[in-house]
Amino acid sequence: MAKNSKLTTAILVLIPVAVGINYAGKLFASALKLPLWLDSIGTMLSAVLAGPIVGAISGAINNIIYGLTTDPISFVYALTSIGIGISVGFLAKAKMFNNSFRTLLSGLIVALVATVISVPINVVFWGGQTGNVWGDALFAFLQSKNVGIWVSSFFDEIVVDLVDKVLCVFITFGIFKVLPKTLVYTFKGEE
Amino acid sequence: MRVLSLYVENDTFIHKLEPIAKLLYALISIVITFLFPSITVGAVFVAFSLLLAISAKVFKRMLLLLNVVLIVLLSMVIIQGLFYRQNVTPAFKLWGLTFYKEGLLYSLLLIVRVVNMIISFGVLILTTRPSDLVDNLVQKGLSPRFGYVLASVLQIIPQMLSTTSTITDAQRSRGLETEGNLFQRFSAFFALLGPLVLNSLVEARERAMAIEIRGFGVEGKRTFVRQILETKTDRWIKISLYVAFIVAVVWRIILWAM
Amino acid sequence: MGNVSTKVSIEHLTYKYPFAENVSLEDITLSIDAGQSIGIIGRNGAGKSTLCYVLSGLIPRFFHGKITGKVTIDGEDVPTMPIERLIRKVGLVLQNPFSQISGAKMTVYEEVAFGLENLGIEKDEMHERIDTVLRQFDLYKKKDENPFELSGGQLQRLAIASVLVLKPEILILDEPTSQLDPRGTTEVFETISQLKTLGITILIVEHKFEKLVEYVDKIALLHEGKLLGYDTAEHIFSTSEIETYGVGQPIYTALCKRMGLKKANGYYPVSFGETAALMNGLKESGMDRRTYDG
Repeated sequence: MAKNSKLTTAILVLIPVAVGINYAGKLFASALKLPLWLDSIGTMLSAVLAGPIVGAISGAINNIIYGLTTDPISFVYALTSIGIGISVGFLAKAKMFNNSFRTLLSGLIVALVATVISVPINVVFWGGQTGNVWGDALFAFLQSKNVGIWVSSFFDEIVVDLVDKVLCVFITFGIFKVLPKTLVYTFKGEE
Repeated sequence: MRVLSLYVENDTFIHKLEPIAKLLYALISIVITFLFPSITVGAVFVAFSLLLAISAKVFKRMLLLLNVVLIVLLSMVIIQGLFYRQNVTPAFKLWGLTFYKEGLLYSLLLIVRVVNMIISFGVLILTTRPSDLVDNLVQKGLSPRFGYVLASVLQIIPQMLSTTSTITDAQRSRGLETEGNLFQRFSAFFALLGPLVLNSLVEARERAMAIEIRGFGVEGKRTFVRQILETKTDRWIKISLYVAFIVAVVWRIILWAM
Repeated sequence: MGNVSTKVSIEHLTYKYPFAENVSLEDITLSIDAGQSIGIIGRNGAGKSTLCYVLSGLIPRFFHGKITGKVTIDGEDVPTMPIERLIRKVGLVLQNPFSQISGAKMTVYEEVAFGLENLGIEKDEMHERIDTVLRQFDLYKKKDENPFELSGGQLQRLAIASVLVLKPEILILDEPTSQLDPRGTTEVFETISQLKTLGITILIVEHKFEKLVEYVDKIALLHEGKLLGYDTAEHIFSTSEIETYGVGQPIYTALCKRMGLKKANGYYPVSFGETAALMNGLKESGMDRRTYDG
């Protein structure tokens, strides 16, 4: 009812739900022993429903809350989540999810954005590592071959992000497409 | 678990501090440890943050928080000790692998920073009622609409997750494959998350309607049923933190200039 | 219109949701007097909730779409009234007790305060009002508990208390008991009878007709967005068409229709009390041994 603000009440209420979906994704993924995080579906869905700004806010709050409740380190990766929210929001606006090929392309773009933002954070906080076993093994290997820390960290991050983000993008759209139109409409930002 | 929070109820001096003062300590101590690439500076803050944690009687819980990053910290010592680019001085050998001094010191610097970050934020999180922090921020000028999001997220998530077990059971009874091969487990993931998303969006819409009808969209002066008070101690703590921050930044700039 | 005691007036109201193919409300005209209790019945998709949303101002503020006709409360136009005024006039309680909790408050007490904080009510008055409603709805002992710890019935009472603390003159309840167990349902209906004594105008959408008829003065029957009847419960349920609208009827009415038992005024009984009285009357006049030819 706040007409002069794009962040309608429905959208504000959507944000906690988006963070909850991220949590649930992570929870289900580990319950099903899937070798991925799948913890950004909520952020992506909020971006698709309500646009890049809302996606960014959901992403930021996701990491703030995660930092406040489980893992203080995730605060700094809020930037990555913001990047994911913004990029998915813009890709959705650009109709980059209309077919499987475009969706795949979008997934790759999102993975790239996430990696580019995460690498400097990895370098500053962890000396380049990500904390993921497979990625870090690759990192150690590249470091031993005298590859630069930035490049090593980039590959460390992207091996993990690539599959995870592409799948998250596909799942997000799979869900979005079956949501009733009347429901989707409620969460649209006023433009 | 009704509220997503690590808050440990107690009545210590630290608990009674204004939430914003604790938040400020966490932020400023983190910034300072990152401004100075010095293990000593980091260690001083770690020690001080630990002192706060002990006087707030949350030391054990703090260890649990640190436990989360233990393995990554250890792997940092190994990877940097072995492969840090500026490694030249061998420190010791273990199972035929040479660890270097430069890498070990670098990993130690990273570790004190991360550990301070966890402990200083841990003090805030473990000793502050989450809704008090939000109320405090809103009373100091944070948009109440944004404050609502922060406060509700802590309760809505456990609420959503409590329904996940219901959904899991319902899907299992319909013969959902939660064990099978990777593809089957991926379809299971879809079947679990889909209904959860739909349900929570419907509930979100209802919640939005319900709070609108209770004046959430009304613009104008708001009042607070819980007023978070700022004591003299709080004010002095905040002033000293600002001073420490300014001194650190100036000092850093002078170091750069020289 | 013109009548002093008219609280709510609806004239030729038609509304269509965005993205919907058909109108949800079509040419509705009715008026409600101050202090009356109105039951709204109809099967799913009849437009009951939509009518609640129009009266509470959620349409067109929350749901957009096309609205025509005139809706007024105390002569003031509802769709254009400033929201802070409207909130003080109309309160709305929804079906799901869980989703009505703001979620931002950690205690029952603070949850009730939510609306008052939004409206900027001064602290002293806030405490006074909260204490009053918590006592009124038997929630005072629970005031320091987390809202999500409450049972369904308690939660729904909390939802009603959180709305009534804003002192609305009209309370709209949209299927307030549909997700509650029998005990919770009884709790909510007891609350409603309390509200009647306070002189609040009440609109209630409800499928539990046996309960509903005990509390309402009139019933509005909706079917596919149209108002098919607006009269006392005995008028509405005595018609033979009632069954064709798929809304059902009170079990007592169904029974008496089957038995051919009518009250002296020619209508079928709708409540347990009326039916019992009628049957006792038959017994005394020696007609209880009458046999049926069915």
